[in-house]
Amino acid sequence: MTIAAGKPEEQTDLNHLVACPGCDLLHHCRTLEKGEYARCRRCGDVIQTRKPHTIDRSLAAVLASIVLLLVSLCLPFLSLSRAGIASSISVLDAVAALWFNHMRWLALLTLAFIVLLPLTRLLLLGWVLWRIRFKRKIRRGMRTAFRWSIRMEPWAMAEIFMVGVVVSLVKISTLANLHTGLAFWSLLILIAISCYINLVLCKDTIWAILTGKR
Amino acid sequence: MGDSDWQALSARQSGLKACTSCGALQPLADHEPCRDCGAAVHSRRTNSLQRVWAFLIVGVMAYFPANIYPIMKTRSFTGNTTDTILSGVVVLIQSGSYVVALIIFVASICIPVLKFLIIAGLALSLQHDWDISTHNRHRLHAVTEFIGRWSMIDVFVVAVLAALIQLGAIMTIIPGVGINAFAASVIFTMLAASSLDPRLLWDHSNDD
Repeated sequence: MTIAAGKPEEQTDLNHLVACPGCDLLHHCRTLEKGEYARCRRCGDVIQTRKPHTIDRSLAAVLASIVLLLVSLCLPFLSLSRAGIASSISVLDAVAALWFNHMRWLALLTLAFIVLLPLTRLLLLGWVLWRIRFKRKIRRGMRTAFRWSIRMEPWAMAEIFMVGVVVSLVKISTLANLHTGLAFWSLLILIAISCYINLVLCKDTIWAILTGKR
Repeated sequence: MGDSDWQALSARQSGLKACTSCGALQPLADHEPCRDCGAAVHSRRTNSLQRVWAFLIVGVMAYFPANIYPIMKTRSFTGNTTDTILSGVVVLIQSGSYVVALIIFVASICIPVLKFLIIAGLALSLQHDWDISTHNRHRLHAVTEFIGRWSMIDVFVVAVLAALIQLGAIMTIIPGVGINAFAASVIFTMLAASSLDPRLLWDHSNDD
């Protein structure tokens, strides 16, 4: 369902005004019904959403993602055998191998984009959603945590790593026998779940709860 | 839009500024951080264009060594080979993996070059008030911001191969300097894209 945002009226309460994040046009927004969203009348960006059951759904998905991410990091995602030598590798092994073979810069990059940023983002998000879901006291730190979890989004690159793994698989398939490990499949599911989080996580609803406007 | 009785106003024109992280509005003259989420609030990102050019120039500069120097060296008993980004694509085509070759070609060559051109074009259009549809520029900016991270594929390919293929005398793959330059190029172009404040595009726009 789409609704057109209303017109700005003079002297309205700031809480009923919404500026479009894409073009800064000011809109007068009525409170949305569940499942509705409002688009900017000028640039068409979504300016406000109200997704149903956002806390339950995103908390479930975030908890699942944390488990899957830990599995994906610790278990081997690829193993190869050639001429009687077999080696299998997890993400953490990969980072360690790069580090100890003096490819420190690449090791740090992988560690940051595949391990630290996705994990921190999920933990922050999980903490905020958990406290909201179980009616704990809203702390100021939760706003900071939620803000940072949003900022980290473009830099968490687990799904891009996945495509990288597939490409490497093709590149060396002629050189050795390759097998995909358990972590390969858990990464695949992780990507599907992270798409689901993007679909169900309603930032407007969570900001409203965190700032006490609802 | 249809309503002629209604004058479209931006938050800035109404003396307000919106927080980019939580959307809360506050008066333009206010220099406090956002009262709702604690983020610094700027009506338009400070020195947006200067940052765009600075990051973009570093990104473009890093892209040259990224393509000239090898990204990967393979040592095996059959001899040593080195791969640049482009030769990696050629090898993939020769071995018949057309889909993967296309993915790498798009991610490592098409996307970065297009991003350089689009970001530079958007920045120039702002500086010289070019008469290009703001809707199209807005869409271009959204696409570049979304697509830029996918260029990192090649970096992860080299990381995976270098970590996996450490078989001593039989075969060893080590990353070349090219891949560091390439990663830097992608990161700086991502920063350039996110430094461009899309709201600037609409400030002088006559589009509805």
